[in-house]
Amino acid sequence: MRESTVCPSDSKTSSLIWLSEVFLQRQLFMMSFPRWIIHILIFYGFIGLSLLSIANWILNAAGYLTVSSTLPRFYLRPEGYLFVKIWGDSFGMILLLGLAMASIRRFMQQEARETSNQMDIILLVLLLSITLSGFALEGLRLAVMPAGISRYSYVGHFFSPPGRHALEQLRPWLTACWILHFSLVATLIAYVPHSKLMHSLLAPVIIGMNASEEHQRGDLYWPEKKKYREARSPRG
Amino acid sequence: MARKEKIQGSKIAAGLTRRQLIELNACTRCAECRAWCPVYAQDEREVITARGKLDSLRRFVDGTLTEEKREDFINALYECSACGQCHVVCPVRIKTHELWEQARLSLVNAGIPQPAGQIKELAAIKEFNNPFGKPRNERPRWAQMAWKAGLLKSPVPIWGERPASVIYFPGCMASYEPSLQPIAVQSARLLQEAGVDFAILGEDEPCCMSKLRRMGDPAFPEEARKRADQFTLMGVDTIIVSCAGCYKGLRSDYRRFWPRAQKVVHLSQYLDQLFQENRLSLKWKTPAVVTYHDPCHLGRHNQVYDEPRRVLQSVPGVKLVEMPRHREFSCCCGMGGGLKAVSPEIQHKMAAARVREAETIGARAIVTPCQTCYLGLLNGTKEASSSLKVLHLNELLVRSICPDVTHESVKNALASTKS
Repeated sequence: MRESTVCPSDSKTSSLIWLSEVFLQRQLFMMSFPRWIIHILIFYGFIGLSLLSIANWILNAAGYLTVSSTLPRFYLRPEGYLFVKIWGDSFGMILLLGLAMASIRRFMQQEARETSNQMDIILLVLLLSITLSGFALEGLRLAVMPAGISRYSYVGHFFSPPGRHALEQLRPWLTACWILHFSLVATLIAYVPHSKLMHSLLAPVIIGMNASEEHQRGDLYWPEKKKYREARSPRG
Repeated sequence: MARKEKIQGSKIAAGLTRRQLIELNACTRCAECRAWCPVYAQDEREVITARGKLDSLRRFVDGTLTEEKREDFINALYECSACGQCHVVCPVRIKTHELWEQARLSLVNAGIPQPAGQIKELAAIKEFNNPFGKPRNERPRWAQMAWKAGLLKSPVPIWGERPASVIYFPGCMASYEPSLQPIAVQSARLLQEAGVDFAILGEDEPCCMSKLRRMGDPAFPEEARKRADQFTLMGVDTIIVSCAGCYKGLRSDYRRFWPRAQKVVHLSQYLDQLFQENRLSLKWKTPAVVTYHDPCHLGRHNQVYDEPRRVLQSVPGVKLVEMPRHREFSCCCGMGGGLKAVSPEIQHKMAAARVREAETIGARAIVTPCQTCYLGLLNGTKEASSSLKVLHLNELLVRSICPDVTHESVKNALASTKS
């Protein structure tokens, strides 16, 4: 008697499935294009800004430790600073756009409103506050920097108070804004283990496990898009 | 132990696998499970949905679930047919149905028993080796009566008297339930028509015990091992089952105890093979516009989608129309996971929803290759006051191959033989 379809395990295919599920979020794309756009904007905005923060931290630490003086100096001073500014503003804008679309969906769309709970709202407000306070901090910093540098912060520029200011003049505002931004980020980090954001760490693990298993069974991971959409239409 | 007593979350966590503990926190709360859940469609409570149950179970494990919500969660855990639809639509693909079964087991081990309806059914299975509490010697009676009534080409041999390499395993439902016995008779007759040398286990046929796994009974591994040892000693080559529940039990659940579990095949797969080998010939035309209902345990849980469809489409005159929800997205009839024992009214409503779905596409009959789904869908037609016919896959085949054993004629013949 013929056995049911079982594909041999193939680490290359499993890796491809994992990459497409985690980095392209294929499953979400098939579920709903607007939701995919929102999630992908927030996902890459978040990753881009996290990478920038990590890079900044390493470069600053390297600068202090004089491990390699050229690289930290290049990126932390005007010559290479434009890369940092463009990177930060671009990913900040992507994140802000994603959050704005998520807010519209969450508060305006009936289906999303019905399925939302306190945690969804808290996270959305928290992420929006972090992004906006980050841009406000950036705007204040630009106000005390030479005009040549500020032009690379093409989004942060709009958050900057008009005119040039002396550092001393804006120091209390800068400090307050930094404390606010830092506190919000710290709150988010503390909230992550108690919230749905844990999925950002654990979902890739589960997807990875499933990718190899489901590929071995040869069943679920690649359903035809058209079939999926057709099947979904009648709800409840 | 009473449900109200304080249970430590660590006890529940101890019963779950590491992967399942990760899964509790991997939910994105996207609510896709809610949009698809066939139980939620009938009882709109958040705790019914996969994300609701995941959240409650996580809190239970953390020790932050309130007393009142704990009761809601336990009820919701059992008010689930474990159909696996939420697994298919989950962007993370959390293995929900396995998680629910494991959570039930974990709760039982922690001292929280199943609902009364399930306890009663489990007790009957363990004591009588079938859920009806009927004696063993009644199990092969369908075959004896069918031979007496002239419905079979030859008597169905009992394996203990005349061993064969192929076993037909009708399962408890088709062996004992009079409205389902025609399915066992038709299966045997179709195998005879194809010249298959097979036997049944007769009084020695064990219950597959898959319901123990579905309802979280701790005795399942021991009972499954016993049965696996029995099959190994017999040295059978193929076990043909006509129930999707038995198929999932023997093939998927036994896999870790029995390396030869791959030898278990569903009747629809076996018939498909017989057709491909030209061992069965369809003679009479059976005009009918039918739709096919994928049993969860056969489809989503074991990926058997094509073989029954091929068999169905091979019947001359049959036109197959698909329901909007088919294959991986087939809507559960509510007969699985012990749901019916807990909440028959929800099962009836779920089956009625499926029947209405079939009606909307203009089908005159809904065909299923599972005797349990067959029974569930019959409940649905009553609930929906529908004239839609519910047919087992065998029915269309016998109408084309051996029309003397249609469901009605077998049912009547068996009833008159019995009396």
